[in-house]
Amino acid sequence: MAVPVEEAIAALSTFSLEDDQPEVQGPALWVSSERGATSSPIEYSDVYAYRLSLSEDTKALNQLNTLIQEGKEMVSVLYAYRSCVKALPQLPDSMKQSQADLYLETYQVLDLEMSRLREIQRWQASAASKLAADMQRFSRPERRINGPTVTHLWSMLKLLDVLVQLDHLKNAKASIPNDFSWYKRTFTQVSIQWQDTDSMREELDDLQIFLSTRWAILLNLHVEMFRVNNSLTNNSVEDILQVLIVYAAECLELDFALLFPERHVLLRVLPVLVVLATSSEKDSESLNKRVKMNRLIAIFKNDPVIPAFPDLHLSPAAILKELSMYFPKFSAQTRLLSLPAPHELPPRERHYLIINHIGAIRAEHDDFTIRFASAMNQLALLKSIDSPDIEWSKEVKGCMYDMVVEGFQLLSRWSCRIWEQCAWKFSRPCKDFVESVDTSSVSDYEKVVRFNYSGDERKALVELVSYIKSIGSMMQRCDTLVADALWETVHAEVQDFVQNTLAAMLRTTFRKKKDLCRILSDMRTLSADWMANTTKPESELQTSQHGGEENKGNFFFPRAVAPTAAQVHCLQFLIYEVVSGGNMRKPGGLFGNSSSDIPANDLKQLETFFYKLSFFLHILDYSVTVATLTDLGFLWFREFYLESSRVIQFPIDCSLPWMLVDHVLESQNGGLIESVLMPFDIYNDSAQHALTVLKQRFLYDEIEAEVDNCFDIFVSRLCEAIFTHYKSWAASELLDPSFLFTLDNGEKFSVRPMRFTALLNMKRVKLLGRTINLRSLIAERMNKLFRDNLEFLFDRFESQDLCAIVELEKLLEVLQMTHEFLSRDLTIDSFTIMLSEMMENISLVSYSSRLASQIWTEMQNDFLPNFILCNTTQRFVRSSKVPSAPVQKPSVPYAKPNFYCGTSELNSAHQSFARLHSGFFGLPHMFSIVRLLGTRSLPWLIRALLDHISTKITTLEPMITGLQEALPKSIGLLPFDGGVTGCMRLVKELLKWQSKTELKTEILHGIKEVGSALYWIGLLDIVLREVDTTQFMQVASWLGLIPGTDGQILQSQEDGNSPVVTLFKSATAATVSSNHINPTPFYTMSKQAEAADLLYKANLNTGSVLEYALAFTSAALDKYCTKWSAAPKTGFIDITTSKDFYRIFSGLQIEYLEDCMQVPPNNHEMLGDSVAWGGCTIIYLLGQQLHFELFDFSYQVLNIAEVDSAATRTSNKSPHLSQGWEGLLEAMKKARRLNNHVFSMLKARCPLEDKQACAIKQSGAPLHRIKFENTVSAFETLPQKCS
Amino acid sequence: MARAGGITNAVNVGIAVQADWENREFISHISLNVRQLFDFLVQFEATTKSKLASLNEKLDTLERRLELLEVQVSTATANPNLFKT
Repeated sequence: MAVPVEEAIAALSTFSLEDDQPEVQGPALWVSSERGATSSPIEYSDVYAYRLSLSEDTKALNQLNTLIQEGKEMVSVLYAYRSCVKALPQLPDSMKQSQADLYLETYQVLDLEMSRLREIQRWQASAASKLAADMQRFSRPERRINGPTVTHLWSMLKLLDVLVQLDHLKNAKASIPNDFSWYKRTFTQVSIQWQDTDSMREELDDLQIFLSTRWAILLNLHVEMFRVNNSLTNNSVEDILQVLIVYAAECLELDFALLFPERHVLLRVLPVLVVLATSSEKDSESLNKRVKMNRLIAIFKNDPVIPAFPDLHLSPAAILKELSMYFPKFSAQTRLLSLPAPHELPPRERHYLIINHIGAIRAEHDDFTIRFASAMNQLALLKSIDSPDIEWSKEVKGCMYDMVVEGFQLLSRWSCRIWEQCAWKFSRPCKDFVESVDTSSVSDYEKVVRFNYSGDERKALVELVSYIKSIGSMMQRCDTLVADALWETVHAEVQDFVQNTLAAMLRTTFRKKKDLCRILSDMRTLSADWMANTTKPESELQTSQHGGEENKGNFFFPRAVAPTAAQVHCLQFLIYEVVSGGNMRKPGGLFGNSSSDIPANDLKQLETFFYKLSFFLHILDYSVTVATLTDLGFLWFREFYLESSRVIQFPIDCSLPWMLVDHVLESQNGGLIESVLMPFDIYNDSAQHALTVLKQRFLYDEIEAEVDNCFDIFVSRLCEAIFTHYKSWAASELLDPSFLFTLDNGEKFSVRPMRFTALLNMKRVKLLGRTINLRSLIAERMNKLFRDNLEFLFDRFESQDLCAIVELEKLLEVLQMTHEFLSRDLTIDSFTIMLSEMMENISLVSYSSRLASQIWTEMQNDFLPNFILCNTTQRFVRSSKVPSAPVQKPSVPYAKPNFYCGTSELNSAHQSFARLHSGFFGLPHMFSIVRLLGTRSLPWLIRALLDHISTKITTLEPMITGLQEALPKSIGLLPFDGGVTGCMRLVKELLKWQSKTELKTEILHGIKEVGSALYWIGLLDIVLREVDTTQFMQVASWLGLIPGTDGQILQSQEDGNSPVVTLFKSATAATVSSNHINPTPFYTMSKQAEAADLLYKANLNTGSVLEYALAFTSAALDKYCTKWSAAPKTGFIDITTSKDFYRIFSGLQIEYLEDCMQVPPNNHEMLGDSVAWGGCTIIYLLGQQLHFELFDFSYQVLNIAEVDSAATRTSNKSPHLSQGWEGLLEAMKKARRLNNHVFSMLKARCPLEDKQACAIKQSGAPLHRIKFENTVSAFETLPQKCS
Repeated sequence: MARAGGITNAVNVGIAVQADWENREFISHISLNVRQLFDFLVQFEATTKSKLASLNEKLDTLERRLELLEVQVSTATANPNLFKT
């Protein structure tokens, strides 16, 4: 079944083609660019059909067009020519005998290159003669043939331009004569063996002359033009030259219908034309009559620098000056010769530098984008209506047409600005460098590009490039949407002119002039579409045709067909004929002809239509025109500078496109970052240019290599920038806002917003025909960056001590927040997964983690031995006196600021916070440990600690036995009569272990470590309690729990259901009864509520870690019970026993209290308060607390001192007995206070009293000590350290 | 002097021009529609690519998560006695 095309196409629009990718890259989409209407696709073969006797003209025109094509290829060859000589190998001395072979090989290689030059030489000769012949033929005054048409004039100008360019290039390229001289040398070497080399030699000489003569092509052209001329009439070629000059000047002055490539053609050709046309005095006079010299000078002055090639410019003043040496007659034109050269001109930066126009350009861009979009919307609206009002439809389409014209003109103006700024920069190399640059090593190219653009200029250039590219891609996208509207409008314009305007003219002005009338009616014949309304109803047709007779003008229906190139060509020709009256040599301009007998009004209409016609072709070539106007590929090319700098390629820092990308990344400008992909489109353009215009594979390869390199760098730097931005954002969010508010310089901690969202959504970046998923690239790198950062943070922690845990937690928090922010815009791995990966505890059976084992290693090696406890502040601090056990630690790894908190300001802010916690270990650190390790690794750590306590006790055992042996069998109470001094002496006598200093120190350290570990667990217990309580407060109301009086937890509701379950149950019941809502989700929620209820209830009221640890220690001590506490034989307290542990500790305590009084090393500084914790806990758990309190040496000494002082007070005697012991007594008092504190704490947490109270048998014999049911093996539920 | 213009057989040319307009209307119609088809294909390819890219992104994430789970399961199955109750 056949489906109408419209329906099929309309059906396609039902597909969803939505795309969330923002438009932040250039169009980069040239699938094909066929020859458009600007150059007739069928080489004007349809012109014959109009029977205008233009066959000669058409033939000549096509010939010139072919020459232009060939010439452009020659230009490409010459531009992309690279010296071969540099690549030629040199023979080493050992192979001198093969020199002849080398010459032959070299000759063959060079011959190929030289044949291309020879071809250029031959081509230019034939082109020059053909152009000269063409000009002569068409400038005969007798005019036997029609022509030249305007198109023909343009072809002449273009061919002339190609010749000028070729000549300019030949002059500029130094490598060509170089290669040639080498070629000639090898030729003389090689040709010795050959016969009959005379013709080759001659050819060679010819080529040499051609290559070494400056402006050889122009000179040759000049000769060709005037050779035949002299024999025939005298001034025919000058005529056509003058016409060309007039036409060019007029076009330039009007500057309406010109796009920038044509404008540049005219500007390049004009000085040469002037030189050619004034080669005799007579000529210059006649030229002066037609064009005032001032006009030309004004044009030249207005554009002192004209771009010719991407990195080569022309200046009219220089050309004129140089050519005057070769054209002696021209040198009389002193006014033209006195034009100032570009470098002599007063600064014209205002005109050339984009930075001075960017404000206006920005306004134009914004305004145009809005109006274009609204015109597009109108058009879409129009298309969606079935039978729209004709007038409205015409208006909307006309508006679209106007927008397109305006768009082309804007694009042309902007691209032209970039070309001209480039040319200007090339003409003015940078002179003042940044100080850090070594001026001697700067290449010429760096002078004109790298150092020649200031930061602001780069910014302006990026902006302009993105404007051009974005408008280009906007227009490119709607190509097929606007095509028929454009055709229709163009059709209407043409028809309106030929049917209405011409009809009016025929009736009025030209009625009397038969020949002009004929031309006008020919114009109507060849383009009028009288039947454009056949598809419309008959009645309308009638009215419209009748309307034609009346004055108001013909009414015709639109037809979406544009005129052909041939029609435009013929119309232009005919208008030209009418205006010039068939006589080109009439003085004055084309349309500015005052002597013409055509009224000014008609002339104006004809002129407007004439220039409109030439612009129609650009509009019909919509996509080609957009492509040409947005082609910025020239910014990459630097062949000329490569050659003069004698390098193979410049580093990418010198490459303008990369400089722009680099600038965007460097500047961190929120407004520019979205344009960062635009400069990459320049690479697309230049690659396209290298392949299709220059047709050089090696250039493409170079571009591709550069793009590969640049894009890699770009992605990695972009990721860095994104990461840094999000990191600093997170870090500044985490700073206390009220603190920031009161700070004077608080704003330096705030982060400027940057919009990376658009870039993060780019899934299709088009680069050299490849499609790159930038989003996935960024995500990949981000995943890696986050892991690297985690790794770094752990490395850093591992190189510091345990106190750094607070800093680590803070940094991890910043990182997590960064992840949270970034996850909003980008899909990356979840933070918990990455964290557990880097913590190395993915495995379900491992309870330790990298962090936990590090914490444990730190505790074992550094914390427990080297930190001392201060009981009052609840802090551990590093002991200053201890020659700290040398701990091997890796050095702190270095990282960029973005691995900490982003910017250096934020780093210092966060660091000053972290510094507060770096000197001690206390509750904040414990909080960090609990939060970082979580419920998974904490048990492992506790187990490790408990095991450590157990091993410590085991190692203590033999040492204590050693001390026990040194003590006397029995130790009685200290007598009161000796006073303090006597007591101390007695104590010293009793303690006969003076020789065992090392043993004592070790025991003290051991006890200290046990105490530290227990105190540490006590801190942990406090923290866990707090965490538990917080959680309880959060969930209690949902679970319906009320804390009871004795710490029990009561259920508030009688039925046993907690509020959360009840709530969801009733909600489910309500939905079931209402019948309107699907109850399934409510069932699910209800089930989940029950699950949550169970889970949270199970987690409540966890036990105390400290109690557990004490129970464990007690169990561990059980083994040594018999050794450390001798069971009294009598069953009652044995006063004199010396075997008990408390005796040892007592002795140790009094000795170390004594040591404290001495000058360094101060023992208390070494041990801190944990000795008391360790000793008292062991004593308490062994059940010797009462013994200790009764019989401890220092306690006894204190008692004696008290009695002494009481006695002294009553008897008023001098307190000589305790003199000299005040310090010691004070220390003893302190120790007693501390011990009491520990004991009361232990009594609260691990009550033994009631057990002890009942530990007397029914018979009255006391049990030494109750047996705990728990043994070490009862604690196996905790994960083992080794697992 | 040879004057420009002067179409030798103006009526015939006029008729031919008229016919040409009509023929070309047909041609431009066809060519525009072909270009629209082509445009559609290009755009379809582009949007499909984006959609596939986002699908791929999700699959990637899932794949990585699955890999992690697999590792966890393998550690569990390697030590079965730890999970006996």
